[in-house]
Amino acid sequence: MIEWLHPGLIFILGALLIPVLKGKWKQIYLLLLPIAALIDLLYMSKGVFWRLPLLEYELVFGRVDQLSLVFGYVFVIAAFCMTLYALHVKEDGQHVSAFLYIGSTLGVVFAGDLFTLYLFWEVMAFSSLFLIWYHKTKASSEAGFRYIMVHIFGGICLLAGIILHLQNTGSIAFDSFNWGTGWGYLSSYFIFLGFLINAAVPPLHAWLSDAYPEATVTGAVFLTAFTTKSAIYVLIRGFLGVELLIWLGAITAIYGVIFAVLENDARRLLAYSIIGQGGYMIAGIGIGTAMAINGSIAHALCCALYMALLFMGAGAVLEMTGRSKLSELGGLYKYMPLTFWLYMIGAFSISGFPLFSGFVSKTMVVESAALMHQPLVWLLLEGAAIGTFLVAGLKLPYLTWFARKDKRPIAEAREPPKNMLAAMGITAFLCIFIGVYPQALYRILPYPVDYNPYAASHLIGMSQLLLSTFVAFWLLRGMLHGTPTITLDTDWFYRIWGKKFIWFCEKPLLNFADSVDDKVRRIADSFVWFSKNPSVASRIMLLTASTVLLKPFNPNPVYMRYAQDLEELRRLYPGEVHRVAIGSGVLLVLLFFTLYLVIYLTYGVLWV
Amino acid sequence: MGRKHLFGILYVCLTVSVLAEVVNFHGHDLWQTIPGFSALYGFIGCIFIIAASKALGHYWLQKEEDYYD
Repeated sequence: MIEWLHPGLIFILGALLIPVLKGKWKQIYLLLLPIAALIDLLYMSKGVFWRLPLLEYELVFGRVDQLSLVFGYVFVIAAFCMTLYALHVKEDGQHVSAFLYIGSTLGVVFAGDLFTLYLFWEVMAFSSLFLIWYHKTKASSEAGFRYIMVHIFGGICLLAGIILHLQNTGSIAFDSFNWGTGWGYLSSYFIFLGFLINAAVPPLHAWLSDAYPEATVTGAVFLTAFTTKSAIYVLIRGFLGVELLIWLGAITAIYGVIFAVLENDARRLLAYSIIGQGGYMIAGIGIGTAMAINGSIAHALCCALYMALLFMGAGAVLEMTGRSKLSELGGLYKYMPLTFWLYMIGAFSISGFPLFSGFVSKTMVVESAALMHQPLVWLLLEGAAIGTFLVAGLKLPYLTWFARKDKRPIAEAREPPKNMLAAMGITAFLCIFIGVYPQALYRILPYPVDYNPYAASHLIGMSQLLLSTFVAFWLLRGMLHGTPTITLDTDWFYRIWGKKFIWFCEKPLLNFADSVDDKVRRIADSFVWFSKNPSVASRIMLLTASTVLLKPFNPNPVYMRYAQDLEELRRLYPGEVHRVAIGSGVLLVLLFFTLYLVIYLTYGVLWV
Repeated sequence: MGRKHLFGILYVCLTVSVLAEVVNFHGHDLWQTIPGFSALYGFIGCIFIIAASKALGHYWLQKEEDYYD
């Protein structure tokens, strides 16, 4: 019914009005925009809309099918919760960049051609950058630069792939890409690489764990959902059933967990959990069966909500105590119990506790791996489920809200502002709602769902896994205490080599450039000197050459005379310049022209 | 409710779930049909993840906070 209105446009154009409004009106307006976009989506019929001719191509801004609609729903719902969480923020710039970010993500989701995809892809990268920079610390500024450089690289890969794809096929339609081995698939590889960078697949993931924890408290919450989940969406569109993705996904899931165990910063630990959760979705895309794709999509939706909730919880602690390092936290339960329980709903969801959202989506992907008879993939994904519960469900809450032997909290704190609690409450409600009533989620998935999460075997398996993980955690909890360290990751390569490269540019390269510059300037100077009085200058040069030749025969009257002359000439240089009347100059010019004319006219006639 | 009670409930749940699997086992592959496999995997997996990542961190990846400065 409202096919004429692109939901992304509501956010992008809506963002322009934010700085104009004040106080309560602005807050109401901020909350109304996501609601308007949701209504827009709910009343949208399927089809292809908003076509725009560009040269000989056709841009398609709105490919509306079940897949894009599902992602659209969850992005808009998440946007509402996140906006509520950020409602107290006074800086308009933060709201504007968040809304541009959301709008451009919706643009990616509904893009039907590769040019439109690329356009919104870049807007997404640049608008999200400001959510990091608004934190205004040295760390956030540097992490932001690294973040955008990685995304520019990813964007270039995507663009290169698109251009090659256009060369090969002549079409810019965004459909499934050819996959195989060989140079013929180069365009697909480039596009794949661009997508994988946004999906944060190791070793291309370090931008996420580097930059997200440096964003503002509210900005980090926005960042959790859109970039990685939209990358999952484009991978589903373009690279469904690519077997490589199964292994990449399984490794990603474990990788995220292992680094999260080592991490001391609460928000960075959660950032690694985002990476790990993405692994499930990527593995599901690789498996490519109807159940696996449904699982991937369902997990992306659930993950967008519970990851936001977890970041809201960790953000609330940072906002109220100014700390996010686990080694500096502990004993906060006395002051922030509500935040703790709301956080725990997110933690139960990400861990896949029955009756929470992760359970109904994660088990779907794991089950489809089991149905593929891939024991190793299954074991890796189950192992990642253990680790996820360990880090996000046990380590982080234990070290933040408890774990003080002397029972005294390390910092005085209180519950965060009402809007933050309300946002966490709504998100928590959605996590439980999906867990208790999974049909609401299953009904909107693109394939019919033939899967019952609450089958006895799933319930028993998951309960055993989680309960025994808890036992192991309790035995080893002493080993998990935060240490004031950082963990090296693949960003080491560009952080260390980047520094060395800058040193190379500043020292050896710049010195070399300076010396070249100096030599060229000297040559130029000598021309200037020569042209001041060419006749005298050439005499000086001649005399210099003669004196140099005659020097071995010194004393010699000729040499003496030459040396005297040379000294005299140099002293007086440029001296009296011989001038000719203007007429002679004009005559010379005319002579040149005539000569040129003769050459021109005779060319091809008298000579070739 | 003390810590002892909590752990009591936890162990009862674990035992019941393993027993339930013995009675009604169900799965796609061999390893899924072993009763209590998930419990064992959870326990060993958790210890392995902690030990492996701590070893990785200790010997290789963990550095002082001013490493990059």
